[in-house]
Amino acid sequence: MIGNVANLTIWEWFKLRRRWMMWILLVFALLFAQLAVWGSFFSYQNLRDTGGELTVPATLQQQQGRVPRTVRCNDLLSGDPARQPTDLDAQVTAGLTAQCRAQAATLPSRMSRAYGNFTLPGSIPNALGTVQTLGLILMAILTASAIGIDYGAGTLRSVLTQGTGRWPYLTAKFLTLATLTALGLLVAVASIAISSTIAGNLGGTAPEAAGTAATWSDAGIALWKAWISILPYIALTAFVTVLARSSAAGMAIGLGYYFAEQLIVALLTNFFSWFQNVADYLLVRNISGWTGATGGFPGTVLPDQTHAIIVLAVYTLVLGGIAFWLFERRDVQGATGGG
Amino acid sequence: MTVAQAEFVVETDRLTKRYGDVVAVDALSLRVPRGGVFGFLGPNGSGKTTTMGMLLGLVHPTSGSAQIFGDPARHPATLKLVGAMVESPTFYPYLSGRANLRYFQGIGGRGKPADIDRLLTLVDLGKRADSKFATYSLGMKQRLGIACALLGDPELVFLDEPTNGLDPAGVVEVRELIRDLGTGGRTVVLSSHMLAETELVCDNVAVLSRGKLIAQGTIKELLREHDSLRLRTTDDAGAKVVLRGLPWVEEVATQDGGLEVTAPQARAWEVSRALADRQIYVNELVPIHRTLEEFFMEITETDPTTGRQRA
Repeated sequence: MIGNVANLTIWEWFKLRRRWMMWILLVFALLFAQLAVWGSFFSYQNLRDTGGELTVPATLQQQQGRVPRTVRCNDLLSGDPARQPTDLDAQVTAGLTAQCRAQAATLPSRMSRAYGNFTLPGSIPNALGTVQTLGLILMAILTASAIGIDYGAGTLRSVLTQGTGRWPYLTAKFLTLATLTALGLLVAVASIAISSTIAGNLGGTAPEAAGTAATWSDAGIALWKAWISILPYIALTAFVTVLARSSAAGMAIGLGYYFAEQLIVALLTNFFSWFQNVADYLLVRNISGWTGATGGFPGTVLPDQTHAIIVLAVYTLVLGGIAFWLFERRDVQGATGGG
Repeated sequence: MTVAQAEFVVETDRLTKRYGDVVAVDALSLRVPRGGVFGFLGPNGSGKTTTMGMLLGLVHPTSGSAQIFGDPARHPATLKLVGAMVESPTFYPYLSGRANLRYFQGIGGRGKPADIDRLLTLVDLGKRADSKFATYSLGMKQRLGIACALLGDPELVFLDEPTNGLDPAGVVEVRELIRDLGTGGRTVVLSSHMLAETELVCDNVAVLSRGKLIAQGTIKELLREHDSLRLRTTDDAGAKVVLRGLPWVEEVATQDGGLEVTAPQARAWEVSRALADRQIYVNELVPIHRTLEEFFMEITETDPTTGRQRA
């Protein structure tokens, strides 16, 4: 039986690697990984060149009706009259200079943090945070497509008449998707490593500052967490695709749920404090809790990691289990159309 | 029981499938003998595809049982010995014909990669083997479906409407192919609406109507059972009375100014003698040979002009 599942997994890869979709999704993941690295690089460069920038609201500018502008702390703190802003009142300039002095105390640690975000190994957890969020969406698309095509094109009938067995076939699909997720993350990490090396050389020597730099162990943990966090989302999308016998339904729910949950949590926790308890058992919220991400849940406390991993495991088992049950139990119909 | 031992390659016992109140297949007890081409006939909606689906593990039976080669049908190990093309052939549209066959060969562990070229040549798809399935015509898809069903040289092949979408030359080719497949111990279960074609290639047939098995046997037997004689006599009214008294005459009907007598054609001389004994003399006695199509229309109560079953 294990041999059968392994064989089916190999042939699932045979099918998937011939689809443009998979490669396009991988390119998207790599682009976002690069965006995270180079975004941090340019952010660091900017911090180094300007010493930090302050935004001057239009109301504080001499000429009314202008748009907000920025001033560089390096200019303000240089003492050079030629580098002082000429379009601001002296009082405003003095206030901004004082603000810059206050920020200068934290500048080394901010620069150190920014430097760590685009150089190895810190760039890996930093960029994986972005890739993981996008990965949920990308894997939802790939999962819905990989499972839904057998309903849309009606190929499930041809597959099952080969004597593959139902649950080995679906198991092979899950294994392939989980493996591809891991491989996709590894490729992303490799691309992050390459671009981090280049960015590190361009960025020059590391700034001298205190601060806790990320370690290679942190990078490994981030990779592991990113992979684990995507699995329940694969289970959710697979469940919907099997339930509706449609890749379109799987994609719609897979894509929509991520945003819908955050919106609903944000709205309802504002109105009902008890909803926080319910929210602690929702999927995306626990994914964020597990990875330590904060995006999408401003001002709220995410579930701790132990709680999150237990909830995610339950989601994976329940959604995956129902998908298997439906897949095993239902009659196979002809093509439903779509991919 | 091994594959070689089983006398019947397919046996079902009161196999039933219900969809709510609708009985798609009703207590079907079917036996498909080993070797040759077995015709599985019936009007649309008679339950042929549902039955094939139950045999191939695609549809869960409501009750009853089915065996293939003496083993429970639906079981993956049993299905490895079976090739099938059910309804329209379904393949991955973004893969070529060759890649599709490689895939199905791979997942089913059927034969060797070298077989694929042989099968593609057999179904005349050699030149388009590397084109994507999505670009194939209906006839080409049909041919690829047949090639896929033959992967691994299975002992039992289910072909559901294999000539759909083929041009006349293609129909002849596929008919010859099916006839060849049915030799050498292999069994082909052929579901088709093309009854003239079926009559040419099938040895045995089963006819389904409204989910029930209404006839099963060799084509010769079935047509012989429904043999009839056209008769004109010196006294048709008297002849009708005399013939209805004979135990082996099933029916006597007035038709086209004469009589149509449902009785074995081998007993034509006895008809003549029985009438002569009553001083009724035969002017014309013609054996009527029915085609499978006529037989089918009659027993399934299908209107030959509309092709639909009478309510």
